[in-house]
Amino acid sequence: MHYPEPISKLIDSFMKLPGIGPKTAVRLAFFVLEMKEDDVFEFGKALVNAKRDLTYCSNCHHITDRDPCMICEDTSRDQTTICVVHDSKDVIAMEKMREYRGLYHVLHGAISPVEGIGPEDIKVAELIKRLQDDTVQELIMATDPNIEGEATAMYISRLVKPTGIKITRIAHGLPVGGDLEYADEVTLSRALEGRREI
Amino acid sequence: MHLKELQLNNYRNYKSEEVSFQDQVNVFIGENAQGKTNIMEAIYVLGFAKSHRTPRDKELIRWDCEYGKIEGRIQKRNGPLSLQIVISQKGKKAKYNHIEQRRLTDYIGALNIVMFAPEDLNLVKGSPQVRRRFIDMEIGQISPVYLHHLSQYQKILQQRNHLLRDLGRRRKSEQEMMLDILTEQLVEYAVKIVSKRHQFLKMLQEWASPIHSGITKGKESLEIQYKSSVQVSDSADMTKMIEEYNDKFTKIKEKEMERGTTMAGPHRDDLMLYVNEKDVQIYGSQGQQRTTALSLKLAEIDLIKSEVGEYPLLLLDDVLSELDDSRQSHLLNTIQGKVQTFVTTTSVDGIEHETLKSASLFNVEHGTATLIK
Ligand SMILES: Nc1ncnc2c1ncn2[C@@H]1O[C@H](COP(=O)(O)OP(=O)(O)O)[C@@H](O)[C@H]1O
Ligand SMILES: [Mg+2]
Ligand SMILES: [Zn+2]
Repeated sequence: MHYPEPISKLIDSFMKLPGIGPKTAVRLAFFVLEMKEDDVFEFGKALVNAKRDLTYCSNCHHITDRDPCMICEDTSRDQTTICVVHDSKDVIAMEKMREYRGLYHVLHGAISPVEGIGPEDIKVAELIKRLQDDTVQELIMATDPNIEGEATAMYISRLVKPTGIKITRIAHGLPVGGDLEYADEVTLSRALEGRREI
Repeated sequence: MHLKELQLNNYRNYKSEEVSFQDQVNVFIGENAQGKTNIMEAIYVLGFAKSHRTPRDKELIRWDCEYGKIEGRIQKRNGPLSLQIVISQKGKKAKYNHIEQRRLTDYIGALNIVMFAPEDLNLVKGSPQVRRRFIDMEIGQISPVYLHHLSQYQKILQQRNHLLRDLGRRRKSEQEMMLDILTEQLVEYAVKIVSKRHQFLKMLQEWASPIHSGITKGKESLEIQYKSSVQVSDSADMTKMIEEYNDKFTKIKEKEMERGTTMAGPHRDDLMLYVNEKDVQIYGSQGQQRTTALSLKLAEIDLIKSEVGEYPLLLLDDVLSELDDSRQSHLLNTIQGKVQTFVTTTSVDGIEHETLKSASLFNVEHGTATLIK
């Protein structure tokens, strides 16, 4: 199918988003053509601003529009506990539960030799730096409950162990959506077990 | 357990077919390439959510169709059961009593199956991989969590092999620690797998050895052993096993780093079969090798009965004619009246056994199966 260039460019852009295939991209592109010009303008501005105005917190590496982020700035939060997660989505999910009152550390990935990702490719060194003074007393490892997440948690706990800081492991629920595969009674029982010291 | 009805839609060369079975023997007769093995495969997929012939699910979808569906109505001791597998371009879905199961471990194991096909005659002389697959699938259907352990093991193994292959790309201390961690993860699952395999083979041996001596009229004894890449002193003592595996990996560390691959673990293990104390893979005649394969398959029938409390279904694809008279009648005597059996053959001529006289016969032609007797 041949589309005028502005449309095919728009289709290509939509296809860069996760979970959007060619069919959906075409549908979205034509929908945009039907939208009011003001709305389209707002939409475009929102996209650009999200990218331009958002950065990562230099302390916890959570996504934020100011540095340090609101969580790190909030002195009413428990400064002695850091919850270690894979990405910013995990922070947002945890915050929704409103149970946790400590700080976070976002690793931006997990150790996975298959994908060429080692400890130096994620924010491990930055985490260790945060433990230099004696403020932090507990690390909660909330990395994903899969092989890579476990390996990452084990790696960090080995690094931190000599400092005497308490380390616990929590699995936040089951992986969602995932393919039908030979998985996973263990994940479920772990999720129910809650935190355990490692 | 008994398969009462099988319904196929856009599956292989079947457009839309519904077949009812009797509880004893069902025979599919037809020329080559008509769809006999396809039916066997459909029943197998219903049990294992996976084909015995191909790892690619999409091949099961009828050409030029969007999706394929296999549905079965099963009668178990404690009531009826409905199983359904739908395969689409996007993936597969498994339903247990009309409810979709998100984890295959919740699905597999409900319908137990023992299959015997010509390639199983290779069980003895084939590669270790063939025997590992045999052990894994059989344990999987009586203990689905085993399949989970296997898939975790495979993932860790892949990570570990990548790390070993790409050594030197990172700082040494980091690398060492990553290797340590992956070894710890690998060992955690390795011992679970190996311990289960030991346990399974011990049971299999108990069932197989009287069967084997029965088929050979007491002339041959069969012994099964697990050949492990790590010496295990007690397969029931997990703590000890973990120690032994750790020791092994410490010992071979240099070599693994040099070769860039994982050199011990269940992915390297094998199954040893001895007839009259001689390794039948090396010293056995073709006849002895076939008898051994048959003994193992028949033993599984009893093993499943003792483990799950019901006989499995038996699928015999093209093998009946491959067996000589005495093996044939031993097989048919074993199943008589107990095990619902599905047989494929190009012709029933020459198979005289009692069991077949009361069987239902189906004519298979061009993607249809019609009851003829
Ligand atoms: N996905 C498919 N769609 C349509 N036909 C198929 C498909 N896969 C295999 N076939 C056809 O099925 C036939 C083979 O059936 P099979 O059951 O293996 O034969 P046999 O009766 O010899 O056991 C072949 O004619 C092949 O072309
Ligand atoms: Mg065939
Ligand atoms: Zn922050």
